[in-house]
Amino acid sequence: MAITRRGFVRAGGVALFSVGLDPLFMDRAAYALSCRPTVLPSNRPVLVCLFQRGAVDGLNMVVPHGDGIYYQERPRIGVPAKDVVDLDGYFGLHPSLAALKPWWDNKSLAAIHAIGSPDATRSHFDAQDYMESGTPGVKITADGWLNRYCQHDQAHQSTAFRSVAFGPELPRILSGSAPALAIGDLKTFGLRVPQNAQGDRVTRAFEALYQGSATGLLASSSEEGFEAARQLKAADPTQYQPEHGAVYPNGRLGHSLLEIAQLIKADIGLQIAFADATGWDTHVNQGASDGQLSARLKELGDGLAAFATDLRERMSNIVVLTMSEFGRTIHENGNSGTDHGHATAMFALGGPVSGGKVLGKWPGLAPEQRYEGRDVAVTTDFRDLFAEVLTRHLGSGDLGSVFPGYTVDPARYIGAIRA
Amino acid sequence: MCAALFLVPRLLGGQMAQAPPSLTPRDSALHALNRLAYGPRPGDVTRVAQMGVMKWIDQQLDPRHVDDDSLKEIEKGYQILHESSYDLVGLLEDARKAREERLKRDPASVDQPGDQPPKLRRIAGEFPELAVVRAAYSQRQLQEVMVDFWTNHFNVFAGKGLDRALLPDYIEHVIRPRVLGNFADLLIATAESPAMLFYLDNWQSVAPGSIPPNLVRAEIRARSYGMGNSMRLDSAVARQPKGINENYGRELMELHTLGVDGGYTQADVIAAARIFTGWSIEKPRQDPQFVFNDWAHDYGEKTVLGVRFPGGHGRDEGIKLLKMLAMNPATMHHISWELCQRFVADDPPDGCVDDAVMAWKKTNGDIRAVLTAIFHGPDFWARSNLSGKVKTPLEFVASALRASGAEPDTTFRLAQVVARLGEPLYQHVAPDGYHETQDEWVNSGALLDRMNIAVGLAAGRLPGAIVDLNRVVSPMANHDSLVSTIDRQLLGGAMTPHTRQVILDQIKDVSDSNAARNFAVGMALGGPDFQKQ
Repeated sequence: MAITRRGFVRAGGVALFSVGLDPLFMDRAAYALSCRPTVLPSNRPVLVCLFQRGAVDGLNMVVPHGDGIYYQERPRIGVPAKDVVDLDGYFGLHPSLAALKPWWDNKSLAAIHAIGSPDATRSHFDAQDYMESGTPGVKITADGWLNRYCQHDQAHQSTAFRSVAFGPELPRILSGSAPALAIGDLKTFGLRVPQNAQGDRVTRAFEALYQGSATGLLASSSEEGFEAARQLKAADPTQYQPEHGAVYPNGRLGHSLLEIAQLIKADIGLQIAFADATGWDTHVNQGASDGQLSARLKELGDGLAAFATDLRERMSNIVVLTMSEFGRTIHENGNSGTDHGHATAMFALGGPVSGGKVLGKWPGLAPEQRYEGRDVAVTTDFRDLFAEVLTRHLGSGDLGSVFPGYTVDPARYIGAIRA
Repeated sequence: MCAALFLVPRLLGGQMAQAPPSLTPRDSALHALNRLAYGPRPGDVTRVAQMGVMKWIDQQLDPRHVDDDSLKEIEKGYQILHESSYDLVGLLEDARKAREERLKRDPASVDQPGDQPPKLRRIAGEFPELAVVRAAYSQRQLQEVMVDFWTNHFNVFAGKGLDRALLPDYIEHVIRPRVLGNFADLLIATAESPAMLFYLDNWQSVAPGSIPPNLVRAEIRARSYGMGNSMRLDSAVARQPKGINENYGRELMELHTLGVDGGYTQADVIAAARIFTGWSIEKPRQDPQFVFNDWAHDYGEKTVLGVRFPGGHGRDEGIKLLKMLAMNPATMHHISWELCQRFVADDPPDGCVDDAVMAWKKTNGDIRAVLTAIFHGPDFWARSNLSGKVKTPLEFVASALRASGAEPDTTFRLAQVVARLGEPLYQHVAPDGYHETQDEWVNSGALLDRMNIAVGLAAGRLPGAIVDLNRVVSPMANHDSLVSTIDRQLLGGAMTPHTRQVILDQIKDVSDSNAARNFAVGMALGGPDFQKQ
């Protein structure tokens, strides 16, 4: 699909002669000038990132049921071994994730344990910030690592739908000078005017208003919006029916996954999709096989299973990655919950994934093996996993720019993606 | 010359009587109305310019003397204002019991949205609506801006269990009366509020090994007389909280006071959590009130930020810590910075923050004095900061209601409009509250929605409001006069030449004067000029 970026170029031309402009806008204008439309292959690789905000309890998600210390430390919330969906005799899935077992068995689902940030913070906001900026310990990083990937990997040419966050706000991870969309709901995206002729007039009018205004983010975001609305209208994905009997769970996560599947099948150039899943901050009564965490995991597991069922053969070029800012304490707290910890667990799902394994070096749960004597230690820096996915799945070449200040060494890759 | 004029008040810490000479009275009035209020209503800019912008600011800083009867009239339609936490918890509990009964009868049945009692649903919709209506229609505009500021600073997520019932009391009786008062008072009130105690889990934070006296008595009875059901007793003991919960201690320092770079350590967080053990909620499921449970308190010695808290102290050491944090230089800087970000610029200038900190020090954290320092400083009035901030969704909707002279209907749907733009009120899950800066709010999807809302409003289709544009701009055949009237009445004179030209071009072939008026108003409110303040 040929894409025009005349809006950017025109606004950029004006901008160059103005003073006091937002540097982000200047970046975007310059970026737009450097982009040239190309034809997109419909099977280009897609990366879907799900952020479990609130710090998921990795130990109850991917349960070390073969470890006695786990049960000693969690008398009230430990998931009984008889309920766990065993994976390898030592680890098992929480029973609410049972829907994912078929993908484990066909080796397209991997779990990564003891992964996290080298930074010691136990603040949700700091840790999320670091995981999204891709620069642990450095707060002044202006953009997110997925956005930097889009800036630096121009082998995959940009379209309005190249990177999309599902939700009303653009998350930190996708913020930056490369264009990215935030979509609350595909069905209502765009300018909604009853009569078509009048609709075109309204769109033209607003485009003219915003194009000439050269007001930083307002100008660039509105142009992205107009262009995306045009493309979506042309693709017309309003009558979407999930295939192969896939049933997405109710709730925001299921809805986001459904819309991601919809955009992938619409072939309008989606490469990076991002969605949030909230409710993991289980300080109180998190439950064991049932309860609060179980309900959240059920939505996650059923959602991912529906997504993979729906996309079936297209999963051969899709990787879904879950992530969370940190894990939770090994010891249950006084309220049958867990407090902020260190390492957690993540999932990678899709055809390119080297699945059927729990990846990463397991540090153990004994007191002397813990981080600061209380938490699961980090043995895999999250950047090593993200870098591996970017290079081996998306074919990124310039990781130095995506993870500034970090030397990516393929020797540290954990083997999440088939070589 | 201008800079020299401003040096004097900054050095003396004094106050200026006049707005800066570099701005016209109308420019200053519009700027003040954009920042201290939710934008101008038709005629406001002229009124404030005539009375003198500094006089208007002084009035807003002392809202008790600002008549607000028209809002009181609107508030009469809000049943939520007559319900106490006691009533609301009762409703929630009834709903919970009904659900349990249903599951007992039919274990396979699933929850339906319609299961909630209608009264509870209505009330849940009323409260966020009230925030939008007050922002748009209160005469005490600065007070409402500050309510929004502190509501986000001391964020409580209404979707967390009992907080659904506790939030209205929190906003009405903890936040609202203190928005222009003393910071330490506000901080202590939030610390003791059942809503915050529940949200950040402190109500269940206890010294390890502590058991409530009623269970101790029951245990003694059971042992001495062989009475009571020991199985039940054991399970009651097992359900009790077993130790400290750090959540409140951490967010208190990171968000409420010092700021994330405020120089505290994990050890400080744990010590603070120990200090607040026993701060809890009495009868949470009947009549939730703050209680200090001395049986749950850790009476040992603690050290926070190098200050020793000797052993043997109870609730008083929590108050001591809150007061100490309220006057910590990191806190003064952190909150002054946030206030300058709200009122001056997304990236607040150092001078403005310094002025605010100085006022904080001098007055022991009097919020009114801190604001006064900001509004009298040169940065607030700097030409480069005019129209330099993008409106949040709440600011956009409230200002559009004000500009267009719309009135609320009785369907309570305005908060849904704000939610659609990305800011569902009281629904921010994390304790950091909604952010203030443009990068949080400006994205292509939300921007298109703002345009949709503007076009809808101009056509009289804004859910939750009745719009009669004839009251502010009558249709007229002369397009030049039409656009000038729209600029004066709706945009307070902020329309750029570019916007003016584009609107004129777009309506030049529209012969129906009603259609031209509506189209022009939609573009003015959905265009870039109106997104800024």
